[in-house]
Amino acid sequence: MRREVPKDSAATLTRRSLLRGVGGLAALHLAGWPAAARAGSVGDPRLVLVILRGGLDGLAAVPAVGDPHWSSARAGLEGPGVGDTGGPTRLDALFALDARLGSFRDLYAREQLTVVHAVSLPYRERSHFDAQNLLESGGTRPFALPHGWLGRAIQTQPGHGAVGLQPVLPLVLRGSETATSWSPSSLTPPGRELLEGAEALYRRDPALAAGLRQGQAGRRIVSRGGKREAAAWGGASFPGLASAAAAFLSHADGPRVAVLELGGFDSHSLQALPNGGLDRALRELDAGIATLHATLGGVWGQTVVVVATEFGRTVAMNGSGGTDHGTAGAAFVLGGAVAGGRVVCDWPGLGPGQLHEGRDLRPTRDLRSVWMGVLRDHMAVSETALHGEVFPGSAAVAPLAGLVRG
Amino acid sequence: MEPTNRKRQAALATRRFGLGARPGEMRTIGADPRAWLTSQLVAEHELPKPLQELPSTGDDAWAFFGWLLDQGRAARRARRRGEPAPDARGSLEEVFHPRYERALQARFQVAADTDAPFRERLVHFWSGHFVISSARPVTVALPPSFERDVVRPHVTGRFEDMLLASSKHPGMILYLDNERNLGPRSQRARNPRKRLIELPIDAPTGLNENLAREILELHTLGVDGGYTQADVTSFAKVLTGWRIRVRPFFRGLYDGADLVQFDEEAHEPGPQEVLGKVYAQQGMDQGEAVLHDLVRHPATARFVATKLARHFVADVPAPSLVDRLALVFRETEGDLAAVSAALVTSEEAWTAEARKLRRPEELLMAAGRALPEQAPDGAMLHRTLREMGQLPQWASSPAGFPDIEGEWSGGDAVWKRLAWAQEHGGRAAKDFHDAGAVVARADDVLGEALHPDTRVAIARAGGPAEALALMLASPEFQRR
Repeated sequence: MRREVPKDSAATLTRRSLLRGVGGLAALHLAGWPAAARAGSVGDPRLVLVILRGGLDGLAAVPAVGDPHWSSARAGLEGPGVGDTGGPTRLDALFALDARLGSFRDLYAREQLTVVHAVSLPYRERSHFDAQNLLESGGTRPFALPHGWLGRAIQTQPGHGAVGLQPVLPLVLRGSETATSWSPSSLTPPGRELLEGAEALYRRDPALAAGLRQGQAGRRIVSRGGKREAAAWGGASFPGLASAAAAFLSHADGPRVAVLELGGFDSHSLQALPNGGLDRALRELDAGIATLHATLGGVWGQTVVVVATEFGRTVAMNGSGGTDHGTAGAAFVLGGAVAGGRVVCDWPGLGPGQLHEGRDLRPTRDLRSVWMGVLRDHMAVSETALHGEVFPGSAAVAPLAGLVRG
Repeated sequence: MEPTNRKRQAALATRRFGLGARPGEMRTIGADPRAWLTSQLVAEHELPKPLQELPSTGDDAWAFFGWLLDQGRAARRARRRGEPAPDARGSLEEVFHPRYERALQARFQVAADTDAPFRERLVHFWSGHFVISSARPVTVALPPSFERDVVRPHVTGRFEDMLLASSKHPGMILYLDNERNLGPRSQRARNPRKRLIELPIDAPTGLNENLAREILELHTLGVDGGYTQADVTSFAKVLTGWRIRVRPFFRGLYDGADLVQFDEEAHEPGPQEVLGKVYAQQGMDQGEAVLHDLVRHPATARFVATKLARHFVADVPAPSLVDRLALVFRETEGDLAAVSAALVTSEEAWTAEARKLRRPEELLMAAGRALPEQAPDGAMLHRTLREMGQLPQWASSPAGFPDIEGEWSGGDAVWKRLAWAQEHGGRAAKDFHDAGAVVARADDVLGEALHPDTRVAIARAGGPAEALALMLASPEFQRR
């Protein structure tokens, strides 16, 4: 069944389209980003996508402690219990949240975090390459689409603008003419003479001229680069890049969409160890979300952050104290604009007969439905576009409703 | 040919097909730029000296596995004592980054010095076609020896030999998971308790399609080459058992022989059908027969021709150029000297405007040749190219680095190109008296490609540093 586009979103879309038509041209050249709805009202949404690379173990981040098979299914992987020191915090009768995700816990308590569990891409194999490609391309077959779902979604509303906190544009943002990238630079910023000289030479090279204009805009908003820049932005650490993303999103002339990535979730061995790979990755993720919350300031209320990974992991421990590539896992939707404080899930269970191929958490929801719900209800992307150019082959996937405060 | 036209073609040859000119290079090209290029395809070429000193494939492979075994021991020791696990990622960087920087510096030194820059460009092109990447820890040390042992010997030889060498190199076997590719009806799948010595990575559990898929999609036919999922699965079964000989590693007896050999117990027995043909051979002959036929498939000729024309000539190359290269590839069954010669003798390759944006690595190599007084510095190249988003041999996917302008002309990218031009100009300025000396160098290395406006701007710059920055930032230096 097709859902109606909510009235609010339709109104926002219309207003934005009008503004783009009228005010867009004049402001375009100043910032490098086309100006759109710059009113700073609740109708001026911000979206952050956080890509977790390596395959987050959803059952480590959001353990299903209430499942009757929990202890047996996770033998060897369980840390301290609920209520113990360093143990997970109860979310509801079934789920808890890992203690290392402290800022997630606080957001959940403030009803600004929704966990979506037993979710996966439309992909049932276990290759990082293929799954990460689908995570960004939004397609149904690896490497079949040359751009990303978020780039295509923004292209339906170019007024939003987007920035990837990476040296090159991430696949997920490709397809948008207004998307650009930014990452810390230890290079000394170009001086005035060189800038003016290059601008003059680039009059016969529009692509370089446009790139320089965008690059300058990015540097004006966030940082000028230089020997100390890497340090200023946390040495390109995840929290450092999160604060840079916040600087972009909260700037009046900045982009409205940001993409961050964090690696280190491929926990094949010793994943329960303190200071192991997964431990550090979870702490870094938590610190980054806390930084984003703190530095977004006044626009936090207009912000939705989606945290997603390419696949979950095996339910049981493998031979080396870790978990191998699996299927379903957990995703997070958080931010001041989120109607949170719940776990959205059609729980498949952890019993021996309930697992996918006898080893993985069984997927009961398509991850694309989460993105579609956020794009439709927060960014006012039409369902026609969602089922069309944004997510080709998604006719059977309904956007997940109710993620955003209405 | 008119003298002006000849000079223009010499400038084009150094930029489009070479690595950018060294001082004096334009003069050595002489009257016939095409002959200068084709002569680089036939001459015997020794392994450049800086590469002779780099470790062998066996040393590179052992470096990682030895490190991994040490990590395992350290982790077990820590666990016994109840201590936190050691910082594996930190240790990986500490051990392998200096190693990488030595290889990177050698690669740039070769690029700066070579008098066969077209040949060297072809090496880089084919390294970007048969991609293995240090981004996967398991292949962190292997790309330099892969390029030297797989790509260099065949760069003007047969495509089939390069494809075979690539598919049998431990770097490719590990990078695309064929070490974990186990035939579902193989002896070991039917009898899991039959243990073999394994590398210290995940033991194989079942069919792994990675290598088969990428050979079809990225190395031969291309994604639209007309194969199906069933072909991928069958080909993956064909490739089961192409694995690394583990025993010499663990006995410290590695003797330099081929590291990849046939593991009968992991191989899926029986004939397989790939692209409508049944392959009933035994052992590695089965896979070699598939590779032999893939080289002769028309889709492979077209895929390779398109990539070559796109890389050297234009993001959207003339269809007639692609057609001609594909025809030569098919008629010669993948003779890469013939295909490369066809590229540089095609009219379309000389009439197209020089609009390709140099990727960061190409840009820094061109600077290394234009300003050879500045010796390459591995650590600095590592930092700069990482920040610019093209750390060589460190691509984030087996598709390698993209080869169209839109991927490299974003805001961050152009700003950093300018910042780099300023820094590099500053470093090189001590070798120039004044802006006038920089004009002379720009004339020398850009020749007819130097635009009058750029020439005036360089001449008017406040000093040699500013003049060099403008030269490096100019559209004619950024493009080729």
